[in-house]
Amino acid sequence: MSATLESLATCFQGLLPAQLFTCSADGTPNAAYLSHVEYVDSHHVALSYQFFNKSKRNISENPRALVLVPDPDTGQGWRLRLRFCRSETEGPLFERMALRIEAIASYCGLKGIFKLRAADVYEVLGVEPATEEKAACTVAERRGALPDPVFTLRALQHLSERIHRADSLEALVDSILGGLEESFGFRQSMILVPAEEPGVLVTIATRGYPEDGAGAEVRIGEGIAGVVAEARKPIRISGLMRGMLYALAMHRQATGERPRPRIALPGLPSPESQLGVPLLVRGELVGVLCLESETPYRFHEEDKKSIELLGSYLAIAIQNMQLQERAQEPLETPPEAAAARAAQAAPAGAAPREVTWYAADECILVDGEYLIRSLPAKILWRLLTTHEKTGRAEFTNRELRLDKSLNLPEWKDNLESRLLLLRRRLEQKCPEIRLVPVCRGRFALELACELRLEMRP
Amino acid sequence: MIDAELRAFLEDAVGIHLGTRNQELEPNGVRAVAAAVEEGGSHLVVYVARVAAERVLHDLEANGQVAVSFGRPVDERACQVKGVFEGARDAREDEKARVMAQWDSFRDNLEQIGIVRLTYGAWVTWPCVAIRLKVTALFNQTPGPGTGGPLP
Repeated sequence: MSATLESLATCFQGLLPAQLFTCSADGTPNAAYLSHVEYVDSHHVALSYQFFNKSKRNISENPRALVLVPDPDTGQGWRLRLRFCRSETEGPLFERMALRIEAIASYCGLKGIFKLRAADVYEVLGVEPATEEKAACTVAERRGALPDPVFTLRALQHLSERIHRADSLEALVDSILGGLEESFGFRQSMILVPAEEPGVLVTIATRGYPEDGAGAEVRIGEGIAGVVAEARKPIRISGLMRGMLYALAMHRQATGERPRPRIALPGLPSPESQLGVPLLVRGELVGVLCLESETPYRFHEEDKKSIELLGSYLAIAIQNMQLQERAQEPLETPPEAAAARAAQAAPAGAAPREVTWYAADECILVDGEYLIRSLPAKILWRLLTTHEKTGRAEFTNRELRLDKSLNLPEWKDNLESRLLLLRRRLEQKCPEIRLVPVCRGRFALELACELRLEMRP
Repeated sequence: MIDAELRAFLEDAVGIHLGTRNQELEPNGVRAVAAAVEEGGSHLVVYVARVAAERVLHDLEANGQVAVSFGRPVDERACQVKGVFEGARDAREDEKARVMAQWDSFRDNLEQIGIVRLTYGAWVTWPCVAIRLKVTALFNQTPGPGTGGPLP
């Protein structure tokens, strides 16, 4: 029995540890664990080089190596006889391997500690089965027990149909995440968009997590979403648990400390596969889509092109919806006559809530608990204070855009995504305050209790 | 040479690989099933399934050079024992229970990181060949800046 490198693609996902055997010029053998074997082409693989160690020294003296790597689908172990060709420190192969390492490190809060120094490329001289690591089943049997292939044309069509039915940004992002679950089986997902603060992403929609997560922030370059935004490339990680353990072991060796807790984005307690897709329109980052699964190797190699296409399509859909909502906004401010609406909505006897605006921090707390900050907070404070002073309960997106106190950029202000984020946070943390769409570009403020507004420096 | 703490690690839930080389300095290696440190810590016995041992015994008899790596999946702690081959024999039936107990601990460890038993359900673990070696050096292999350094 022998195999082609192409047929061993699953072996290169890092799900099961691989082993590297080398030998020095003086004839001393060396056996070491490998963090990652990467498929390069039908005759080459690449091994990650992160630290100068005995294996690296041996290879510089004697270019021959043996890698033992098990197939996670069948259990069959494979022996790859290799000859070192070259080290790459830039280019697509290096970037692909470095990005994976950086994403895992960042996910663990260890960005910068855990870096790829080179992608060492080896010619594969032979592939043979390891007799002690026999297959427990065939690939077909194992795959039969796994979820279907991911990005099929049919599933993409279903998602597309759902997206076309959306008539607002809120409906669109919900359609995307709902469609990803129904058509692809991805139960956990989220969409993040660039925040007002440079270098920050904010979550506007999530699905499949106990906590809604809207408003959770991540810095660009941190975590899977942050690394995707920084690199503007999709990242697909299988065997995340092993990668994380490797990173944490490395951190302990380097510092003797436990890492800082990571940023509290919603997430699975034990994710095995993660996929981050940049949502780009003509090079501009509209957002990041992140998917998680507890199934190892959930996102397949053959899905990669589909993933990139999907990201472009979703980005265009989101940007178009933002532009469409803006273009169809009413030009007039709602009449003062709409005032009574909020008063009618507040039932007698409901417990009042205290809404506090912290001007210096530009954030709002409700009954002492953090609600939201930055532009969505400024918008909410403007709505609540206007309502308190004038009794008005209907507002337009256009008047918010023209309000200089909000300091929205004239071009690409992303107001719709901020309003969506605000609505989600209110639903989650203060459902007594609701922003209810009335028509395109116009919404009503509905209050289900008395509010006590307070402003602090 | 191998102290009590390291011995406990080597004989517990670890993945073990034994590396050799031939006369042309071509690296060779196999997965091992279990290991036992002899009293005094100067010798190590590595149990390798007979189907795999056949691939490395020729190298061992020809040049005697051997490297054995140990890695614990759940925290990636790892080390390597370098040594010189001193002999090989068939593992005895009265050793089987201890060898299998060690293998089961390793499988439990794999399960803890989400690797299902189905994957390695057919890996060959018995009968084994017991490969005895004299320990010459110990190295840390836990990932990180100190990897490759000698163990005290």
